Formats: sequence, structure tokens, C-alpha cells
Amino acid sequence: MVNDIPMYGIIDCDNCYVSCERVFRPDLNGKPVVVLSNNDGCVVARSNEAKRMGIKAGTPYYQLEELFPGQKIAVFSSNYELYGELTGRVVDIIRKEVPVYFRYSIDECFVYLDGMEQFDLKQWGEGLHKKIRQYVGIPVSIGLAPNKTLAKIASHFAKKYQGYRHCCMIDTDEKRRKALRLIPIDDVWGIGRQYANRLKKMGINTAYDFAERHLDWVNMTFRNIVVERTWRELNGEDCVPNEQLANKKSICTSRSFNGMVKDFATLRTHVSNYAARCAEKLRAQHTVATIVSVFIHTNPFREDLPQYYNFMEQRLITPTNSTMTIVQTATKVLQELFREGYQYKKAGVIVMGIGPNSPIQHDLFDYNAEQFEKMKRIDAVVDRINRLHGTETIVLGAQQYTRPDGKGKADVFANAIKHDFRSKNPTTRWSDIIILK
Amino acid sequence: MTKTIQIIKGHFESQQPLQLAPAIKAGFPSPADDYHHDRLDFNRDLIRHPEATFYGRVMGDSMIDASICDGDIAVIDRSIEPKDGDIVVAYVNEEFTIKYLDLSHKDEGYIELRPANKNYSPIRINADDEFEVWGVVLWTIKSMHNA
Repeated sequence: MVNDIPMYGIIDCDNCYVSCERVFRPDLNGKPVVVLSNNDGCVVARSNEAKRMGIKAGTPYYQLEELFPGQKIAVFSSNYELYGELTGRVVDIIRKEVPVYFRYSIDECFVYLDGMEQFDLKQWGEGLHKKIRQYVGIPVSIGLAPNKTLAKIASHFAKKYQGYRHCCMIDTDEKRRKALRLIPIDDVWGIGRQYANRLKKMGINTAYDFAERHLDWVNMTFRNIVVERTWRELNGEDCVPNEQLANKKSICTSRSFNGMVKDFATLRTHVSNYAARCAEKLRAQHTVATIVSVFIHTNPFREDLPQYYNFMEQRLITPTNSTMTIVQTATKVLQELFREGYQYKKAGVIVMGIGPNSPIQHDLFDYNAEQFEKMKRIDAVVDRINRLHGTETIVLGAQQYTRPDGKGKADVFANAIKHDFRSKNPTTRWSDIIILK
Repeated sequence: MTKTIQIIKGHFESQQPLQLAPAIKAGFPSPADDYHHDRLDFNRDLIRHPEATFYGRVMGDSMIDASICDGDIAVIDRSIEPKDGDIVVAYVNEEFTIKYLDLSHKDEGYIELRPANKNYSPIRINADDEFEVWGVVLWTIKSMHNA
């Protein structure tokens, strides 16, 4: 590893949902806080204090009282509107400071620090944490390394040990080896649980054990490109492509074009279709997304042609899986991304900040090819009425939910979800801005 | 002699300032080209750090002598380091409060949040109290119209 190659970074909001809730509840700093899944089912986010108490992720809400009798735990329903807005601020700060960024999930953002080789990056990272903490009120951890896999490992250390002041950098071979010895194979990005279990059975327990194996052995044993790339990156190479960044926490639909695309209209048609596909995937798994992002790029192998790569995102005001909304948002983002004069090779749509949709889901709501066109037209009319008269004035029959009391079906989404401990939305609704006494 | 005056209607509902048009030249250049200036825009000019800007609604009259009244909206910027004499938003006793920040007693081990109303007394914060200045108030907006 040499110091003058560009570094990667991963910037990760600490206990993201809890930190978002604490922005407007500073009194909860240092106290156990948990955030529940939609419908207040189970614990999805925990403060460090809650983790130390022994509260596990996934603990059903109703068990909290039994398991931790008499203990004070601040409980919140999940509020994706708030989390989407505040993490969007974090991304806005990051992207003003780096040449390339790629949002990986609602609470994680990769950056590529090309051209910043001469900076004291450790100090820069500490400063960035301080800035985000002060501006938005959310603590982040930053890992810096010559590739994404090692950056992920560095961020583990930044999170775990206060001495790093929220930023850990692996920039020498000595630091790399030391870090790999301390990282269990389960915690290596790119090694799924099944592979990790297989490796452990073979006596490979740390990232170091794995990285020290011969590449031939890795390929013979796994015959898997992702595993190979992980091995290479643990050894200091930079080879995980951006496309591999789409993860379970996001849905990505992307394609390389047959030939090149130069005009906006064609590109828009492609992007619209990818966006629609993302919406379908969301509906198929009964989820809604908070953020829609679009990337486009030229063909990197055609070095004779001008190159352009860009990525941009838009938050949705209300988390949704509506084809209409997601397509509209994606085309709006594309409009900002698009630059005339390039030959584009690939485009993609990624939706993230994904949360469960509702207590009840009807078959009607699921994707159905014949009905799709009809739905789209209905969507348009309904959306227009809702824009004029307020959200959820008209909803499709299928978008209605059974009331929480179980009587009838005529309830709209916002009222049907159980969110007894939902915080306010001081950054997205005038009615909810903080009160100053 | 009559002159025709053409009234051009402004487009004020847009929140985004117009992008500069690409330099496509056709016909005569407009003499105004060299004087092009973006339209004034509160979002751009008054909010210097959008990522750090939050809004709050004033309740009560503890800052009345600073012309901050019940119902006003305060524009709060968290990126600015609070200085002595700034109007700040602080979080005290599980509430947000808007007050003058008085750092003049810092050497004596305490600071004060001073109201602008003689019917209220200052809030004294000792060095070891849990306390944070949440943000600095840059502007207040008050409605002058009962719509």
C-alpha cells in the first residue's frame, strides 16, 4: 500500500434512527433508547446504552417490559420521514466535501477521495465528523482505506474505540495486518453468513486467516467472484465495483444498453422502466422506500470518448412504493444528472431507506401486468386530486387499510399503521417545528 | 404620442433559482446579457447553511423586548459558534428555549440565558450542568397579515 493512491471512505451514522430521534430530544443522550419497526412490532435500532443493557435487535416490543422490568427505556415508533430528511442533510454535507460519493443505504455513504491524496485525511475525517455532529446533530463513524472492504473494517474500529475520534484510517500494510487479525470473519463485508460458517469450519476465524490463504485456494473452494474480490481487497487491491454496492437494504435495477444512448428522451424511458421495476419489487416484498437515486455513466472502456459518471438522489416526502411517484422522482433526478454530449452505456435506479409497508396487504395491490396500464392512468388522476386537496384524499381501494380497531377497511395508510410512539417531523412539517419557550 | 407598456408577469411560485441558460446565440445579443443577475431568493440568501438550518415557533413573550413575539418563526443555524450576546436556542429542563446568551460570567463558572422581558428572570447554567446551546437564531419571521 502506498500513500499516494486515492482512498475510499465509508461514513456511517451511529445507531442512525436513535441518533435522529435524539436530535430533537437532547435529554435522551446517554440514556437507553430504542426504535421499533413499523407497527411497533420489534426493536430495530438501539442506543449504545440499550445495547449494553442487553436489549437485542428484533426483541418484540411487548417483551421489553417483561425482560427489563422497571428499567427506563425511551421507545420510539419508526419515523422514516424524519430519518430520511436528517440523513439527507448528512449526505448533503458529505457531497460538498468529496469528489465522488455513493449512498449505500439510509445511514451509510461511500466516498472516493480521488485528488485528495495530499490531505491529512485522518484529520479531515475527524473534522467531517465534528461538522456533521454540529450541523445536523448526528454522530458518524468514518473508515478510510485504499478500498471499500478495508474502509468498512476501518469504520468498525472507528465505532468501537473512542480513541479514534470517530475516524480510523488503514493506510499502511502494518495497520492492515493488525486490523485483519482483530476482525472476525463474520464481520467482513462481502462474506455472507453461510460463507462465514463454512470458513469457520475450516478453521478460518479472522479476516487475516482468510486473506493469508492462496487465491487459487479461494477460487477452488468458493468459485464466487464476490468472495474473490473480497479476498483481493483484504489484501489491499481495489476491485469491488460500484454496482456491487446495491445491498439488501436497497433495491437496484440497472442495465447496460445495447450500444450507446446519447439523447435524453431514450435515457428517460430506460430510467422510467427501471424505476417502475423498483416500485414493483418494493410492492412484491410489501415495503416502501424513502429515497430514490439514479446513476448514469458512459463506457469506461472507451477511453477515446469523453467520460461522465454521476449519481444523485431525491428524498420522497412520504415513503412510497407507488410506480407513479417513484418514476416521476427518478426522471426528475435524471434531468439534473443528464449532461449533453456524452454517449451513455449504463443507467440504474436504486431505492433505499426501505421499511415495511403496512399491517395488511391485499392481492389487488400486487403487480398484475394487465392491470398495470390501467393503474397507471388511475394513479395519475388520483395523484392530481391528492395534490390539490391533500394527500390521501383519494386512495385506491387496494391502498386502504383495515382500521386499527379492525372495523371496516376504509382507512388511509397514515392512520392504519400503528405508531403509538411516533415522534414529530420538525424538519418536514410546519405544524411540527420545535416550540421555543 | 403613446407608448405601449408591456407588463411582464413574474414567476414567483418557483423555489429554485433559474439555471443560467446555455450559451446558445441566435440573432442579436440582448443588451441585458452583460447585466444578468440571479433573482433575490430568501432560500439562497438568508439560509447560508441549509444542512444546519432548522425552524422553531416562539411561544410566550419572554423575548418581547427583542421584538420576538408569540407565534414568530425563528430560523436557527447550528453551524454558527454561539457568541456572547447572540440570541440562541438552548435545551433546558427538557424544553427548547429562546434567549440571549450571556457568557460574561464564564470565568466565575456559570453562564446565563437572559430573557428580554423584565417579568422573567435569567436562567443560570453552572459549569457542571448538562446543557447545550442547540443553535443560533439568525432571523425571525413574523406574520403581518391575518390570512
